[in-house]
Amino acid sequence: MTAARVGIGGPVGSGKTALIEAMLGELARQGIDTAVITNDLVTDEDAERLRRGGQLPPDRVRAVQAGACPHTVIREDPTLNMAAADRLEADYPGLDLILLESGGDNLASTFSPDLVDFWMFVIDVAGGDDIPRKKGPGIVQSNLLVINKVDLAPHVGVDFPKMLAEAQAVRGGAPVLATVCRRGEGVAEVVAHLRHEVLFK
Amino acid sequence: MMPLVRAMQLADSGFPSGVFAFSWGLESALADGRVDRHSLPGWVLAELQGRWHGFDRLALAGGFRATGAALGDWFATIDRLMPVERLRGASVQAGEALFAAARALRIGLDPAAVAAERAGLGHFTVVHGHFLAVSGLDLAAALAVSALAMARGCFSAAVRLGAIGAIAMQRELAALAPRIAALAADLPAPGTLPAGFSPLSDIALMRPRDGRLFIN
Repeated sequence: MTAARVGIGGPVGSGKTALIEAMLGELARQGIDTAVITNDLVTDEDAERLRRGGQLPPDRVRAVQAGACPHTVIREDPTLNMAAADRLEADYPGLDLILLESGGDNLASTFSPDLVDFWMFVIDVAGGDDIPRKKGPGIVQSNLLVINKVDLAPHVGVDFPKMLAEAQAVRGGAPVLATVCRRGEGVAEVVAHLRHEVLFK
Repeated sequence: MMPLVRAMQLADSGFPSGVFAFSWGLESALADGRVDRHSLPGWVLAELQGRWHGFDRLALAGGFRATGAALGDWFATIDRLMPVERLRGASVQAGEALFAAARALRIGLDPAAVAAERAGLGHFTVVHGHFLAVSGLDLAAALAVSALAMARGCFSAAVRLGAIGAIAMQRELAALAPRIAALAADLPAPGTLPAGFSPLSDIALMRPRDGRLFIN
């Protein structure tokens, strides 16, 4: 195993796939050889969306189905994802990074340390500014918390500075980054964080 | 006592091998009304008799017994005998998950098995038999682990699909236990070729379905 394996989890609609789409361009510009595994619950929609985006050759985007349990395939029994990652590494020697996108799940979702070296959890302001206060394991234990769609805060009645401060407080100082993935805002900071914490390059 | 404890560990539904993501046709059969809560135990028994006893038991026993080139040949033989392409692909996919678990657990598998996986022939039942052998089980225990895993896997998929409750599942599984034990006690003669017959689930496996929760 040579490529860093990074999990990306979070609730449905928080922007996990959008974050990956935005990151792929940045990673490519920085010469980081990347592949993606998606874990859609019912379809291959996320994988197809990434393939259609054209930022990676289609075969570098692999879909794993989750058998009705999105958390099981990343935590209790991650072997299907491990096999997919092993296969990617065998097919593409020299890969630097494999991004594993979880199916949308609740705030208790976490990644197995057997599967990933690092994982981030994506929430969005439209999900409500009380999410950090709920302190789910995804919020508290992830290596990096990403709060997406921060541009929507005024439109959904969210006091973003307060939400950010609460997120930082419940995480005890662990990193929190804000993004607007649709516009690419904050994505360079996410990639820089990965380079520093995981890729060491 | 140690072999029993080891067998219980390897039969544990929490043992990571990827099997939770497969329904082996049950999802489509439930959706098409070919099976329901009341006929579910019959479906599971038919799978045990037609698929497991006729095919998987023999495939597993061959993987348990063979080593080296003979093991590689057995993987290829099972691949040729798979009657349904969707089943063949899912069997290899499930096998790859077990290979990944073995790598992560640092359980050394026969190089012929590893070569079969690389060639896309790493069928689950064969590598499961080999995995259970190198884990120290005897063949009778390995067959019991495999038969119970199939029955529990069917019921567990039905629970997640909302077709049966977890308590009722245990009741039905207990009722089937004598049949499971009897089927698993039938040790096959070396070299016997598998010949399964499970047409309903084979057809269900091939049915296209949008919005599928399970791999098959």
